[in-house]
Amino acid sequence: MATMDEPLYPIAILIDELKNEDIQLRLNSIRRLSTIARALGEERTRKELIPFLSENNDDEDEVLLAMAEELGVFIPYVGGVEHAHVLLPPLETLCTVEETCVRDKAVESLCRIGAQMKESDIVDWFVPVVKRLAAGEWFTARVSSCGLFHIAYPSSPDQLKAELRNIYGQLCQDDMPMVRRAAASNLGKFAATVEQTYLKTEVMSIFDDLTQDDQDSVRLLAVEGCAALGKLLEPQDCVAHILPVIVNFSQDKSWRVRYMVANQLYELCEAAGPEHSREHLVPAYVRLLRDNEAEVRIAAAGKVTKFCRILSPQLAIQHILPCVKELSSDSSQHVRSALASVIMGMAPVLGKDATIEQLLPIFLSLLKDEFPDVRLNIISKLDQVNQVIGIDLLSQSLLPAIVELAEDRHWRVRLAIIEYIPLLASQLGVGFFDDKLGALCMQWLEDKVFSIRDAAANNLKRLAEEFGPDWAMQHIIPQVLEKINNPHYLYRMTILQAISLLAPVMGAEITCQQLLPVVINSSKDRVPNIKFNVAKVLQALIPILDQSVVEKNVKPCLVELSEDPDVDVRYYANQALQACDQIMMSS
Amino acid sequence: MGTSDLDRQIEQLKRCEPLTEAEVKALCLKAMEILVEESNVQRVDAPVTICGDIHGQFYDMKELFKVGGDCPKTNYLFLGDFVDRGFYSVETFLLLLALKVRYPDRITLIRGNHESRQITQVYGFYDECLRKYGSVNVWRYCTDIFDYLSLSALIENKIFSVHGGLSPNITTLDQIRVIDRKQEVPHDGAMCDLLWSDPEDAVDGWGLSPRGAGFLFGGNVVSSFNHTNNIDYICRAHQLVMEGFKWMFNNKIVTVWSAPNYCYRCGNVAAILELDENLNKQFRVFEAAPHESRGVPSKRPAPDYFL
Repeated sequence: MATMDEPLYPIAILIDELKNEDIQLRLNSIRRLSTIARALGEERTRKELIPFLSENNDDEDEVLLAMAEELGVFIPYVGGVEHAHVLLPPLETLCTVEETCVRDKAVESLCRIGAQMKESDIVDWFVPVVKRLAAGEWFTARVSSCGLFHIAYPSSPDQLKAELRNIYGQLCQDDMPMVRRAAASNLGKFAATVEQTYLKTEVMSIFDDLTQDDQDSVRLLAVEGCAALGKLLEPQDCVAHILPVIVNFSQDKSWRVRYMVANQLYELCEAAGPEHSREHLVPAYVRLLRDNEAEVRIAAAGKVTKFCRILSPQLAIQHILPCVKELSSDSSQHVRSALASVIMGMAPVLGKDATIEQLLPIFLSLLKDEFPDVRLNIISKLDQVNQVIGIDLLSQSLLPAIVELAEDRHWRVRLAIIEYIPLLASQLGVGFFDDKLGALCMQWLEDKVFSIRDAAANNLKRLAEEFGPDWAMQHIIPQVLEKINNPHYLYRMTILQAISLLAPVMGAEITCQQLLPVVINSSKDRVPNIKFNVAKVLQALIPILDQSVVEKNVKPCLVELSEDPDVDVRYYANQALQACDQIMMSS
Repeated sequence: MGTSDLDRQIEQLKRCEPLTEAEVKALCLKAMEILVEESNVQRVDAPVTICGDIHGQFYDMKELFKVGGDCPKTNYLFLGDFVDRGFYSVETFLLLLALKVRYPDRITLIRGNHESRQITQVYGFYDECLRKYGSVNVWRYCTDIFDYLSLSALIENKIFSVHGGLSPNITTLDQIRVIDRKQEVPHDGAMCDLLWSDPEDAVDGWGLSPRGAGFLFGGNVVSSFNHTNNIDYICRAHQLVMEGFKWMFNNKIVTVWSAPNYCYRCGNVAAILELDENLNKQFRVFEAAPHESRGVPSKRPAPDYFL
């Protein structure tokens, strides 16, 4: 008896839990829908489960969302594609609910199912769903229908196709802006399935209507359509139909539309091809760079390098550069920041002369900007300029500004400068470096921010690698070691860190004679933090040092630390002692 | 739970990835063993860096460590209010707790008024645990640990540190030492006041607190407390100060606030107080972590407990 009853059991639980007051339980049972369908078998799933779901769709949005998602992958449980149409009714209902994310998911699932259905089934079952939704009384249905046309259209016979194009045209003129928005945002997808002849005529006229919509939220979406449609049209049609629209949009009365154009202009240029872009879109772009609305200028400024790349240097210098100059002293810090994040990339595009004459002054003014993000954006891309203008000019013109920024009150600006130092050092050479930058590098070791001190120690290591141990022995090591007497434990800690980084570069002899005594001496520090870092540093030095030195100097020190009253000192001393023993054993 | 497990968990939490429920349970048990030994007036040695409210602003706490140095390199004293309001109370508190278990002598955590069952159910920590774990077990483990957190700290016998402030029931530190702290924060009395009270210029002696718990206390109260207990000054948190720190009553009490751009909208800077081995003070002021160093921004609208 028990086995006979079993197939009923899951559906009983499902129905029970679907009606449960706890939303979590209802959600769980929906998430287990496929398991239940498998238990029921294909036929009972079609005849009982799916109708049950169709009737029980007055639930919380979270449950409906889960249902919409599950049904999208339900074809195997209803008996394969020939039965796929039974899944359409519950999803059709979900396409009409109020919550957008449920509708979107239902549309997505419908598309997924429709993409697998046979052509004749599309015509018999899917197209009627689309038509019913498009004629729906409540706007939600009509919104959902817009996302289904690209599935319905390709399988339909000619007459039905004409009807679908006609319906789509009506949706684009719907009374409700929400519906027109949905039609506008789905136009690209739908147009991709329409034949060239109708594309140029019917679809373009639909598109024209949308571009003149009185709601800016609709026109906004039409802007995105420009790029999508442009790619579908043949080049000459694109120039004839799409370019004028873009140029108009760039002067739209709504700043949100202009912002969208500024954001998309590069993609639009690609669609229109470079020659036509130059002719028609440069004036449009220049207008956007000078827009009244800061948001638009931010978007436009951020694309300046990308846009210049598709222009000839001459055009860029003639038309774009004057705008860039204006933007570098824009009243909005965000505009300047957007410009600063891309402007360095213009140097290779413009070439050496124009960079020196025109860009360099702009770099310099942005480097002194009162807003730290602007300065930071410039510094982090400085290497791109080296290559173009050469190191001499860089050091003459930019270096004073860099030195000033080394003491910037924002630590991330200082950090960016430090990270740039090794590159600068390698290009400037030893002599120049000693004069101007050496003192700065020492100063950062005593910065008030930990990250800067840490980066400063790392920087010293990289300089020692660049200029060699002899140079480091003269210009780094004595100055570093002197600072071990700083009265503040955090600064002494930085020195220990610097020593452990420098040791491998300096080699066994210098490490043993110069560095090790300082470390050993620090093991008598009164602050436990210093002592356990001494243990850590000693552990790092073991592989560098001679075995006899380890035995004679390092080990006794560690043994003493391993009997320290502080638990962390003992722990790290013991770790280091173990490392000693391992080295001894392996050799 | 071995040291290597703990080190792995600390690394994981530093990436803002929460532990499993079982790991949290084990961590809390371990923390309990350590915290139960601590005094209500926990002795702390210099050097130490003192931090105020964090309130679940995990990425801003990482910014704090970038400025102040990592634990255990730098010693820390956190003055409570680790949880609530920010998006990452779970990760914030667990990271601090894991550091406490791994390095008990390098970091001290004391209790704030938000380390309470009642308050966390209103201001976000409870909901966050439920959302991230699907059950309230982690909230239970953590709030059980809250009961064990010490109530105050005394640095080198010279600097008294507490989350809120003083209490009319407390004249000497010994009176704090005898409180039975292992309980939910009561609605009144000495333990409540230590976590809830505020210093106030306009008050002479004691005044009613607009918070509905604790008291307002004036400069004379602080002077006599400091004199009686032979301390230099009081360091506390609990109140947003736009500049990150604020001295009051002729340098007898200082407020330290460590949640920059509090609730992601106040526009304040944060501070920590670095004390070196000779008790020299340096305030380190810092700003909120830049946008790109944060995790995926939450799309959820700000919950209504935001101010």
